[in-house]
Amino acid sequence: MTGGVWIFAEQRDGQLRKVTYELLAAGRRFADATGQELAAVLLGSGMAGLTGEIAQYGVDKVYMADHQDLGTYSTDGYTTVLAEAIQRYQPSALFLGHTAIGKDLAPRVAERMKTGLCTDCTAVDIQEGRFVFTRPIYAGKAFAKVECPTARPVMATIRPNVLGAGQPTGNRNPQVIPLAVNLGPNSIRTLVREMVKKAGGRVELTEADIIVSGGRGMKDPANFKLLEDLADVLGAAVGASRAAVDAGWREHQYQVGQTGKTVSPTLYIACGISGAIQHLAGMSSSKCIVAINKDPEANIFKVADYGIVDDLFRVLPVLTEEFKRMLA
Amino acid sequence: MVPQREIYWNIPGHVLLYLIFAVSVLFFCRGVYQYYKRLQVGRPAGRKERPGERMRGVLSQVFGHGRILRDYYPGIMHFILFWGFVIMTFGTAMVALEADLGLPVMRGAFYLWLSLFLDVAGLAAIIAIAVFWFRRYVQRPDRLDTVADDGYSLLLIMFILVTGFLLEAFRIVATADPWAAWTPVGLVLSYLFAGLGVEDLKIFHRITWWVHLFSAMGFFAYIPYSKLSHIFLMPINIYFRSLEPKGTLQPINFEDEEQESFGVANVEEFTWKQLLDTEACTRCGRCQDNCPAYLSKKPLSPKGMTQDIKSHYRVKAPLLLAARGGANAEGDKSRQEAAATGETAAAVMEQSLIGDVISEEAIWACTTCRSCQEQCPAMVEHIDKIIDLRRNLVLMESRFPSEMQLAFRNMENNGNPWGVGWAKRADWAQDLGVPTMAEIGQADLLFWPGCAGAFDDRNKKVAVAVVKILQSAGINFAILGTEEKCCGDSARRLGNEYLFQSLAQENIETMKGYGVTKIVTTCPHCLNTMAKDYPQFGGHFEVIHHTQLILELVRQGKIKPARFLDSAVTYHDSCYLGRYNDIYLAPRELVKAIPGVTLKEMERREERSFCCGAGGGRMWLEEHGEEKMYVMRTEQALSTGAAVVATACPFCLTMMVDGLKFKEQEGVQAMDLAELIAQSIA
Amino acid sequence: MKIVVCLKQTFDTEAKIQLDPSGKISNENVQYIINPYDEFAVEEALRIKERLGQGEVVAVSIGGAKTEEALRQALAMGADRAVLLQDAAFEGGDWHTAAVILAQAIRGMEFDLILGGQVAIDDGAAQVTTRLAEILDLPQVNVVTKLDVDGRKVVAQREGDGATEVVEVALPAVITAQKGLNEPRYPTLKGIMQAKKKELKILGMADLGLDPTSVGSAGARTRVQSYALPPARKEGKIIGGELPGTAAELVRLLREEAKVI
Repeated sequence: MTGGVWIFAEQRDGQLRKVTYELLAAGRRFADATGQELAAVLLGSGMAGLTGEIAQYGVDKVYMADHQDLGTYSTDGYTTVLAEAIQRYQPSALFLGHTAIGKDLAPRVAERMKTGLCTDCTAVDIQEGRFVFTRPIYAGKAFAKVECPTARPVMATIRPNVLGAGQPTGNRNPQVIPLAVNLGPNSIRTLVREMVKKAGGRVELTEADIIVSGGRGMKDPANFKLLEDLADVLGAAVGASRAAVDAGWREHQYQVGQTGKTVSPTLYIACGISGAIQHLAGMSSSKCIVAINKDPEANIFKVADYGIVDDLFRVLPVLTEEFKRMLA
Repeated sequence: MVPQREIYWNIPGHVLLYLIFAVSVLFFCRGVYQYYKRLQVGRPAGRKERPGERMRGVLSQVFGHGRILRDYYPGIMHFILFWGFVIMTFGTAMVALEADLGLPVMRGAFYLWLSLFLDVAGLAAIIAIAVFWFRRYVQRPDRLDTVADDGYSLLLIMFILVTGFLLEAFRIVATADPWAAWTPVGLVLSYLFAGLGVEDLKIFHRITWWVHLFSAMGFFAYIPYSKLSHIFLMPINIYFRSLEPKGTLQPINFEDEEQESFGVANVEEFTWKQLLDTEACTRCGRCQDNCPAYLSKKPLSPKGMTQDIKSHYRVKAPLLLAARGGANAEGDKSRQEAAATGETAAAVMEQSLIGDVISEEAIWACTTCRSCQEQCPAMVEHIDKIIDLRRNLVLMESRFPSEMQLAFRNMENNGNPWGVGWAKRADWAQDLGVPTMAEIGQADLLFWPGCAGAFDDRNKKVAVAVVKILQSAGINFAILGTEEKCCGDSARRLGNEYLFQSLAQENIETMKGYGVTKIVTTCPHCLNTMAKDYPQFGGHFEVIHHTQLILELVRQGKIKPARFLDSAVTYHDSCYLGRYNDIYLAPRELVKAIPGVTLKEMERREERSFCCGAGGGRMWLEEHGEEKMYVMRTEQALSTGAAVVATACPFCLTMMVDGLKFKEQEGVQAMDLAELIAQSIA
Repeated sequence: MKIVVCLKQTFDTEAKIQLDPSGKISNENVQYIINPYDEFAVEEALRIKERLGQGEVVAVSIGGAKTEEALRQALAMGADRAVLLQDAAFEGGDWHTAAVILAQAIRGMEFDLILGGQVAIDDGAAQVTTRLAEILDLPQVNVVTKLDVDGRKVVAQREGDGATEVVEVALPAVITAQKGLNEPRYPTLKGIMQAKKKELKILGMADLGLDPTSVGSAGARTRVQSYALPPARKEGKIIGGELPGTAAELVRLLREEAKVI
């Protein structure tokens, strides 16, 4: 066996990320298809229990760097350790999740190894033993199939949720290989002064991945509680249409539209919004639009990917419960 | 005996009158000269072509009072006062002819009739002054702000009139005037003094005569230093009015490499005509009474703005003149005045119109609806000042509400303010069988749906209705399709002259390329821009509004609104169709052309129509504050009890649709006239 | 403070994406803009310069003649000068070669800070600035929503997953901008006029002293096999039925079909 397929097993606070499971499960398939071993690379500090968990996913090896300097993610620290490991063990492919850390770390490692990297991939094919990655370009308005012909390792960051669920694929009693961590005194050049968890306060509209928005159909400012409940479950921001703002139900800073904020979240849930052009101008670039409106003729359904024609006061509580159940 | 009276009866030494008159004229001229000199700080304005037409306008406005009479109550009172004064001045001139030139005019029937006229005129003037007093100090309408000068001026005129009548009464009693019946007011008044001896009467008469003379001469001298200055400023301002099509804005020449500053931030960057405007404003407040921004409690009053510019200008102009031409007395005086208000001359010189004199909120609050200009008796032009200030904010400072940047960017990148991909511009016409110019090369008529007709779902229906009408009338027409770009109206009215010109030039080039001569559009903003702005850049097209064309088709019998629509319709005048282009009739005729429809007019209509709030680029700006113009206008429409609010402008339609939703009036519909007609011919 | 801003010219966000006969993305009838994230970087550089009251902002881009427009726009916003890296040999490159070219150009400049967008809206790769940081051996802070320059260091707020980090780093460093960092200004007309007169240097292979095998398709580590358009957008799906079934179905579709949850 040559090289090996490596999965960067991203963890946060001693917990593996969901995408890591997805990568491990898919990684097993890739390794088998290309006739290689599968290894997980685990960087962090105090991760005692994690190797056992990773072992459930059919890995042949776990490369592990457990060191206090790696307790908090740093570009420099992680890049150095990972690049040295690659240098030493020469894997043929390395996959990371397209997460905040993956996005930051992968290009740096790739450049240090002078190799190719495909980011934000939504599909991975294997053609004649070579990896071919599909990645959306132009905000999903087109796709490119990209390969990394000669440079090794082939690197890619994979978007979460695209590889299918991360089911355990059997324990192969992997060998745990410790990685040397030789970080000099000033080798980590960034200092994380503080971490502000996004628990309490709501995400800012323009930065939110998910927005739940209400319009004239909300009928009363008190009803926005229904949207907030849903937003809490989804970690979403709450927006409003101009009609709702004009009615005085929400402040102008929450207005989505031509004369308010322009947003492009992954998911936009429009509740009781008719879909005037002034509103569409502010949100139509959202990746996925859901409309809930009792008027089947409402314009918003023309741009919506999914619609429910029903009374939003009945739909919202049920929907909130459904999301809660799914995310639990 | 020939009816007459002795001029200067009982007034020895009346020759002194000439000296006093000379002094008064001197003061008057000095005052007028100051106006003239101040104006020198302004930039050139032209406004000298077609003097005959200018003069005719002045005469008709001055003697006919057309604008002033638009507001009946104060208008009629002013008309009476004005004509009273004209007649009295004529009488005085007759006296002068007799006394100074020896012409025997003040005798016979002419004398008697003139006396009667003068008496009636004087009485009418007294009544008018009394009513003015009552209005200003008892009724106190919101639009009037009162300063001491207002009171002085009224008192002074009243005093002159009363002393005049007293004088007459004393003379009637003292001389037992046999023709007293021809001066009825004097006669009635004379009964009060019937018991007095002739000598006493003569003393009273003499004293009153001098008092009357001094007050009249004082009045004359006081004119330039008071609100009475409107007596000469208004005609002058009307003389120099714009003779260009309504709403014409002066283009900026971007080719001129010398030019380093654009728009206006300092008062001296206005033209002398713009400065004269501020002097001519007499604070009547008609503009404010009709300003949708003011009425919806925005921080803008056209009157307030004009007055604020004037106050600043009056302090700064002498300082500027002093700075330009060395020391002068007014400069010193102004400096003292400035110092007295706690500001140094230097501080005044530093003041910008933007922020220091007029707030930015006020500058952006204007919808350029032209209601102020339409009402102003002095023909003050407010909007070009607002746009000059906006030009400075946009082109020099890049400081404006953030929503505007989005609209500008969208116009730049996709040729429409919403920013919908430009390639989708012709999607609305798919499956309608509408050819594009690119496909057929030429057509009799170009249909211009504008950004709203092309992109906004509600207004697409209007564009479709127009297509249906044109097709059923067998008109040979085409659209530009994806080659059409935003006309640039919003960019221009928001002060982005640079963006406007680039959009205009592209459109003109495209249309010229197809040899377009005639355009029909559903959007009054496009209409106004293409008809009036484009010729400034070599684009001469005949542009008509769809309501005009449809009416013509109805009249020619090419389409027949036959289907009965049992409905009460109210029509909302679009500012850019009505006030800007005087198209008031065609839309109303169209409403009436539909069988079964009754037209229910709103109180504010035609010249006094109330803006929906979307003009002047405000379509793309958030309207802040409790009161929204679109809601106010919707309420006005609803109060007619109509079931349909008919519009003829895409922005108005958007606003009315929103307004009706806001008012939760599901039974009332907002529709474009083309849709009503299309329904009726279907 | 000398600041280098790397920017990329991209298609307008509303551009209709089509394939040309050779199967590549067609650039016909396309409106170009500065990549919006790079525009945040330009704006931030200008604000830093304005706050400090001194400094220089240099805009750098790789591209063809058309890219001059993007650089002129940066100049109109207030950048002091611009450098366009243009050479036929750059064609066919990838994110690695772009970083190589940029690094070679920037290495020759004096700088304290390099700014760029966190991602480009066209290829969405988010690689070049990080690779650039690696080549120049500089620390990086990506996806920054707030930036304070404090003497010889900067304090940046960066978006992590589920947490906002406050990161301190000594200069020189590479920082990439995220939406929310600022609202880019609209160039004044004066700015547009002045931009025409500002220095825009065009540098090619020879000027940069680059090895032909290190750039273009020869230097690229990746290769695009093919481009494809997504199937035409489906009509929105109206989920029929009654509650709670409709809600459950919606959640399932969002997760399994749209993959957004």
